[in-house]
Amino acid sequence: MEPTRTEAIVLAAMDYRESDRIVTLFTLQYGKLRGVAKGAKRSARRFGPALEPFARIDVELVVREGLSSLRGADIVTLYPGIRRDLRAIGLAGYAVELVDRYLPDGAPTPRLFRLLSSYLERLDQGEPLPSDRRFFEANFLNILGYRISLDHCASCGVELPATAERRAGASGMILCASCGRYGASVGPEAAALLGRCLATGRFGAVLFSPQSLREAGTLLDGAIAAHLTRPLNSLVFLKQIEPD
Amino acid sequence: MLQSSNSFARLLAELQKLPGVGEKTALRLAFHLLKYPENTAALAESLGEVLSRVKFCSICFGITEEDPCRLCSSDRDETSLCVVEEPQDLLAVERTRAFRGRYHVLQGALSPLNGVTPDRLRIAELMRRLEGGAVREVVIATNFSVEGETTALYLARQIKPLGIRVTRLAHGIPLGSDLEYVDAATVQRALEGRSEL
Repeated sequence: MEPTRTEAIVLAAMDYRESDRIVTLFTLQYGKLRGVAKGAKRSARRFGPALEPFARIDVELVVREGLSSLRGADIVTLYPGIRRDLRAIGLAGYAVELVDRYLPDGAPTPRLFRLLSSYLERLDQGEPLPSDRRFFEANFLNILGYRISLDHCASCGVELPATAERRAGASGMILCASCGRYGASVGPEAAALLGRCLATGRFGAVLFSPQSLREAGTLLDGAIAAHLTRPLNSLVFLKQIEPD
Repeated sequence: MLQSSNSFARLLAELQKLPGVGEKTALRLAFHLLKYPENTAALAESLGEVLSRVKFCSICFGITEEDPCRLCSSDRDETSLCVVEEPQDLLAVERTRAFRGRYHVLQGALSPLNGVTPDRLRIAELMRRLEGGAVREVVIATNFSVEGETTALYLARQIKPLGIRVTRLAHGIPLGSDLEYVDAATVQRALEGRSEL
């Protein structure tokens, strides 16, 4: 098979045998794939530091069922700003682990690729904002078809006007005050800001207040955990470096 | 045949647990061991000796036969402490003969993606050593991978409030290399860390 080139973000990498590395890539053209980079630990010329987690690279590879074969990679960016900030490293790790755990192999998802790239660029440029994390998560779920329905109660189906009190149900569902009387409150402001996250594609356009951030966080954390079989390693790490 | 022998099958299985050893290499190594019984006996004896005598130093967590190790019990500079990921990194720094202080081996590096959190490394022990008050500079010599950088940033955040100077090994263009063959990320780091002539 002929080698091909595509843009990719490194989701994970592990050493394999004496000098090889197995990497999980999120490619623009082929979606998620796993590939082996032979001699990656020995040959600085072919791969250099390109196979580090969350690096954005231009990769040459032969795409195969199972393990693809990486021939070489050029670095687009290693996001030096992220690598200088402990919290940014934790959040970048969280974003790539989320994509790795949710995305099936071989499903090209250019919108998600753009979202992940934009979030990494945002983290690279400055102070990591909690609002940006929630913006990323809301759009991430939306792109993968797990959009949180904000306008209707997920249990009884009643329409929820903008000013209605909402409750967070299990698995990050929105419930009306009656169906979700034991759930955490999701105020009108948090619901409106979550709606705006989905209406704009630009990081920084939505800023949550501390209260709406807490409410949106409860909802999004529940929605994300609902589709995972085990907790994300990066979340455990984030909690240790910045306890609530 | 040999593969039906329990002891030979066990040897193959044990060899395959070594890093970088697959089925074929294990088979090759096993036949080599059978072919040279004197060397094999010496190897077995050496493995037994290592297991019974080599341990981690209770102060720096490097490998040693006596506790504390030779480096921790010598009269080296107590005000300077070099922090490395693994015992082999300690040996790499020691080979330079450029560092006369003491060491601390973390026995790993923080990894957000692999679930290696601060409590899984020898960080609490490091902090206890620093509370002693003798150390004035901590040189962080972790690798320049994402894991190494994460560890360095975390340690700096923990140590700086103690009023101890925290430094990081310099990084950039390798000695003897041509600039045109060095990757852009390394050149960028070298530019950021340029020094006065």
